[in-house]
Amino acid sequence: MWKYIGNRLLRWIPTVLVVLFVVYALVFFGAGDPIKLIFLRAPGDIAYNAKRIEAIREAAGLNRSFLVQFWNYLLHLGQGDFGNSLVSGRSVGSMIAKAFPITLQMGLTAGAFLTIFGTALGVIAALNHNRWLDNVISGFAMGIWGVPVFVSGPLLMIFFVKVLGIMAVPYGWHGLFNSRVILPMLVLAITPMALIIRQARSALLQVLSEDYIRTARSKGIPNIQIVVRHMMRPVLNPVVSQLGIIMINMLNNAVLLETVFGIPGVGNLAVESITSSDYPVILALVFIGSTVVLMVNLLVDIVLPFLDPRSLSKKETV
Amino acid sequence: MKDKIDTVENAEINFQTAIQDTSSESFMKDAFLRLIANKGAVIGLILISLLFLVAFIGPYITPYDFLSQNIEMRNQGISWAHPFGTDDLGRDILSRVIYGARTAVIISLSVTVISFLIGIVVGSIGAYNFGGKIDAFIVWLIDITMSIPSLLLVIVLNTSLKPLFMRWMETQYLETKNPMFRETIWIDFVLVFGSIALIKWPKAARIIRAQILSIRNKNYVIAAIASGVSTIGILRRYIIPNSIGPVVVLFSATLGEAMVFESAFSFLGVGVRPPIPSWGNMISDGLRVWHLHPHILAAPAAVLAIMTMAFSFLGDGLNDALNPRQWK
Repeated sequence: MWKYIGNRLLRWIPTVLVVLFVVYALVFFGAGDPIKLIFLRAPGDIAYNAKRIEAIREAAGLNRSFLVQFWNYLLHLGQGDFGNSLVSGRSVGSMIAKAFPITLQMGLTAGAFLTIFGTALGVIAALNHNRWLDNVISGFAMGIWGVPVFVSGPLLMIFFVKVLGIMAVPYGWHGLFNSRVILPMLVLAITPMALIIRQARSALLQVLSEDYIRTARSKGIPNIQIVVRHMMRPVLNPVVSQLGIIMINMLNNAVLLETVFGIPGVGNLAVESITSSDYPVILALVFIGSTVVLMVNLLVDIVLPFLDPRSLSKKETV
Repeated sequence: MKDKIDTVENAEINFQTAIQDTSSESFMKDAFLRLIANKGAVIGLILISLLFLVAFIGPYITPYDFLSQNIEMRNQGISWAHPFGTDDLGRDILSRVIYGARTAVIISLSVTVISFLIGIVVGSIGAYNFGGKIDAFIVWLIDITMSIPSLLLVIVLNTSLKPLFMRWMETQYLETKNPMFRETIWIDFVLVFGSIALIKWPKAARIIRAQILSIRNKNYVIAAIASGVSTIGILRRYIIPNSIGPVVVLFSATLGEAMVFESAFSFLGVGVRPPIPSWGNMISDGLRVWHLHPHILAAPAAVLAIMTMAFSFLGDGLNDALNPRQWK
């Protein structure tokens, strides 16, 4: 097991290095001179004073070659130092430390919500296979899967606030236990929930035709007990294995959702830093994003053998 | 025992493909019949055809110019003159939605075609070099691009390439005095579909590589090569009919996803810029005044929601119709 985890981590390092290199090169050659960008916004005409610009650039180490700067960046990154923001001058680490918990709280709550409700709806759909309840649930799951959050969010907002008038305007972050968080959370959870519903439904349909279910039925075990004890375990397996995809989906959606609802999380930080070419922040966010996705995938791979011991032996033989 | 299983499997596959091969037209006919038996897929297909139709003939049927402002008619609600109302500059929202359809179709078609061209080339190289270093590199590249949060990366790609393009255009204009280099609208389009295609091709490459690999070593293909069927004949008779299913399904899915990506870009303000209408930047505009005039936000959002649902249902129908072996 440890060897497997080590292997995965070793394969992840070149991936992250390549991604960081590409992003660093893009910003380095594309975004333009960071010093000029800073002083173009500042009062005064420092941006047009070539001598002073040159002096500041030299002090910041920005006149060295691309590879040297990239190497320095990696050295700092190894020590957990993301550098300073070009716009506000604050350390990137502290900016992310402020924004990340908000996104994490939203993501974890939405994740728990969508896993529980998605599995339950999928199981209900499969147990009513080809009846109207199944058609409604699978139709809903299929329809909602493609709809992006910046469309479903505003539409639901108009529906709840303007049409029904039962909700305060959901804008900003007031903590997790505020009613204004309900709508963003619902929107964040509903898209990946469609995936979970479909996975749980098709997994249960497969289980339903197994011999041991028929045996359990013929022994007279109550229906509810069959569902809970004999069917849930094989259903959880495909559900858990989708968590990696769901994580990527939620990270992508966080960028859009936090813009719609004005939530000061990581996604909002990303949009702000990109529109103001604040590249230390962009690099740090790309790094953290790919790390989070890796960790979730790793966790899924570690948990799966406990749910289904066969998957480990399959992996070793292949 | 294993050999026996192999022959049984091959026999079964040979039997199935024999049915398809003798009449690949009738397979497509069957698939079509299965598709139109699926209500959701038919509705999706009709809506998507309508979208393409509107995108192509749109400028000739819009009741108003998408740019013409009318300050006296600001923020009008739904009426006969303006079926979707007017926005905060008095522009007709229906006309803008129709032009937005044009933007969405241009970009999603370009993304899909480009990413499939790259995918076909890269996927065939990978399959041809199976087990070699180039193939390993391609597989690694596909894995990387599919395992990182792509939206952020595409936005970075888009925003940092834009100044480079602008500088290049400036120098080109100074040298050639060609007015084409003064137009910046097509740069927006090229950057948006270029950067989306860059993260969309790996899926196409992976499917095409897998399809070629799974068919290449089938006994009937080897037999066909041995009996002197030409490469084009093999492609036409065996490879294309057998791999068309997953490719068509992915093609339709990529069209839908690219449409969503394009509006997401424009929504965040890094894609197609105003005044060119895109559903994304219309939603972004509407969000500023949604509490006073919700219809400005609702029209483009509802259209985009309906179109993404249409793509989902069509994709599902295509999947059922073209991959009958997946049936349970």
